[in-house]
Amino acid sequence: MGLDFGPSGEQDGNIITTTIDKVVNWGRKNSLWPMPFGTACCAIEMMATLASKFDLSRFGSEAIRFSPRQSDLLIVSGRISIKMMPVLKRIYDQMPDPKWVISMGACASCGGVFDTYTLIQGVDQFIPVDVYIPGCPPRPEDLIDAVLQVQEKISSGASPKGVEVIYE
Amino acid sequence: MQGGSERATGEKMVLSFGPQHPATHGTLRIVLELDGESILKATPHAGYLHTGFEKLGEHLDYNQYIVVTDRMNYLSPLSNNFGYVLAVEQLLDIEVPKRCQYIRILMAELSRLADHLLWLGTAALDLGAFSVFLYSFREREKLYSIFEKTTGARLTTSYTRVGGVLRDLYQGYEEDVRQFITNFPKALKETHTLLTRNRIWMDRTKDVGPISGDDAINYGLTGPCLRATGVAHDLRKAEPYSSYEEMTFDVPVGTNGDAYDRYLVRMEEMIQSCGIVTQVLDNMPDGPVNTENNKITLPNKPDAYGHIEGLIHHFKVIMDGHGVEVPKGDHYCATESPNGELGFYIVSDGTGTGYRIRIRPPSFLNFQALPHMLEGGMVSDTVAVLGSLNVIAGELDR
Amino acid sequence: MNEEKEVEEHSKPLVLEKLEAAHADALLAQDESRGTVVVVVRKERVYAVLEYLKTDSELAYNYLVDVTAVDNSRMESELMRFDYARFMVVYQLYSYQGQCRVRVKVPVHENDLSIPSATGLWRGANWLERETYDMFGIHFEGHPDLRRILMPDDFEGHPLRKDYPLQGRGERERFNFDKQNA
Repeated sequence: MGLDFGPSGEQDGNIITTTIDKVVNWGRKNSLWPMPFGTACCAIEMMATLASKFDLSRFGSEAIRFSPRQSDLLIVSGRISIKMMPVLKRIYDQMPDPKWVISMGACASCGGVFDTYTLIQGVDQFIPVDVYIPGCPPRPEDLIDAVLQVQEKISSGASPKGVEVIYE
Repeated sequence: MQGGSERATGEKMVLSFGPQHPATHGTLRIVLELDGESILKATPHAGYLHTGFEKLGEHLDYNQYIVVTDRMNYLSPLSNNFGYVLAVEQLLDIEVPKRCQYIRILMAELSRLADHLLWLGTAALDLGAFSVFLYSFREREKLYSIFEKTTGARLTTSYTRVGGVLRDLYQGYEEDVRQFITNFPKALKETHTLLTRNRIWMDRTKDVGPISGDDAINYGLTGPCLRATGVAHDLRKAEPYSSYEEMTFDVPVGTNGDAYDRYLVRMEEMIQSCGIVTQVLDNMPDGPVNTENNKITLPNKPDAYGHIEGLIHHFKVIMDGHGVEVPKGDHYCATESPNGELGFYIVSDGTGTGYRIRIRPPSFLNFQALPHMLEGGMVSDTVAVLGSLNVIAGELDR
Repeated sequence: MNEEKEVEEHSKPLVLEKLEAAHADALLAQDESRGTVVVVVRKERVYAVLEYLKTDSELAYNYLVDVTAVDNSRMESELMRFDYARFMVVYQLYSYQGQCRVRVKVPVHENDLSIPSATGLWRGANWLERETYDMFGIHFEGHPDLRRILMPDDFEGHPLRKDYPLQGRGERERFNFDKQNA
């Protein structure tokens, strides 16, 4: 978190100095609210990640929200067809800033094995993506790793891919 | 249920349910016309996950296409692999060795368990029973580890091959599977205690989304949704394939065809599948797993590396433009997948690539009957009925 | 046991016998392939044949398994068999009573893509025919709601035709976000 104790190094007064950015980022990092946009096979692995054995909530992002207006992390997991892409774009637009995007699996990232007339060859053509996960489908550990990478990105103060400046 | 139309205000409201809604499990969409809380008209929409599987079948050779079938019904990929290669094998007029048939049954039944478990978890989750979801996934993870040890992948297994399977079962599979099916009925009982006599669960599912047997046949419903109406039809019994005729099991049927019956039928099917798995383990024959036909299956590695004939056979099966050459003709082959009749209609022009591969998905026809089950009911029933149908978008839209 | 089986195989299946008696003029060809009876039926008569197969009390093919089509334009031998009809519409039927299948094929020429709809016989035919329309452009006459089902409404072309490229015609790179209402 980058906390420093007071100038004298005393802890008695319970004074810590930090920057407001760091506090905000620390809060954001540990309370990610993912919006799962699960369409296909990857969604099953995403469910496995959220369920008993892997339990994503250990990493501070357990509050799955199905409303984009309450979420700050979009997990695109699965194939996105040309009929679905406008829906995805709209959901992304509805999310409040700052927002991060994970593209889970080969299909969302690049079309995967399906180089066909109906499949978007990578959602990053239309929405900005922060973290890509390879695999078809990726294992739950991979998704956990991706969430951790997003957290790292947040705590480092870097802006999300889709936003120029987070806050003034 | 009652009273909706009596309180009618005459003002219609249109509610678009999905495609991104927690209860649509991905990409289903239903447009509901409501009067107050009762549903006047329901229009399901499909196609949000259309991937072009059938078109791909015209460009990939027969063994490559197995990979695509994994991604169709991703709750039970092994059943899809199985159904597809069976269709190709019947077109080739070959029969795989007994051990291979048994291995395939074993895997198909385990994946039926996995499919029904995920259905159970999500259907219960949609109606607010979160713990059932966690219980189901606990069991599913055990199945995943068996699948992973056997095929190398948790979900996208690609286990079967035309004329055989990828490889024989691993050392010690029997203990793993036996341990699983011994403990599984106990685990299922936990769910029974949570749901079966639960007041809320019964109120939400009993007499919700009913369909009669005749209507179900008219709509082309198959699988647990058909059997819940009382029609005892199971392709494993009616048209036994791959040694299913040697297995003893019951076909559970319901009476009302409502969401509760679909729940009970699936719960009982899981117990029956455990019985089939036990029989397979008890009678697992020895012998080779692959057809001994070098034009269809790969030669073993020492042969491919050590002899020129073996190398040529390997080359012919693997290389582009060669592959398994299937005689000219067409064939429709149906198997009983966890969701119902999964059919493959394959037209071959005599080359190594299919001329046309048509997939007859159970979810497509099951989803079509949704308005019949919903209209006249309440808007909150939508979630219960949709959950009970287990519509898999990948299979629906292909 | 074997002899018995052979005799069975040589005798004509009931469905062919009955069809020949009742609809001889509708049949273009008949065949038995891997245990399934296959009949090729004239387009004008397909509704009558399907109705007969469904309602006849001995046959009772009451379950419509599948409706699809095949584009034969790249398979010369099939094209020649039926007077250069480009498409073959394929119906799969199943009888719960007799537990057997029959496949009905109907050649359709490219210059007249209409064919009677089977929605009057089976409600399940609705989406199957819509999909066939979407993918091949076969026009089912009398269908209550013949719209695209898998592709977006404003999509042009029919993807499962042989002249349609696998990677499409650039639809996946360019589409209008505003026009397609989510």
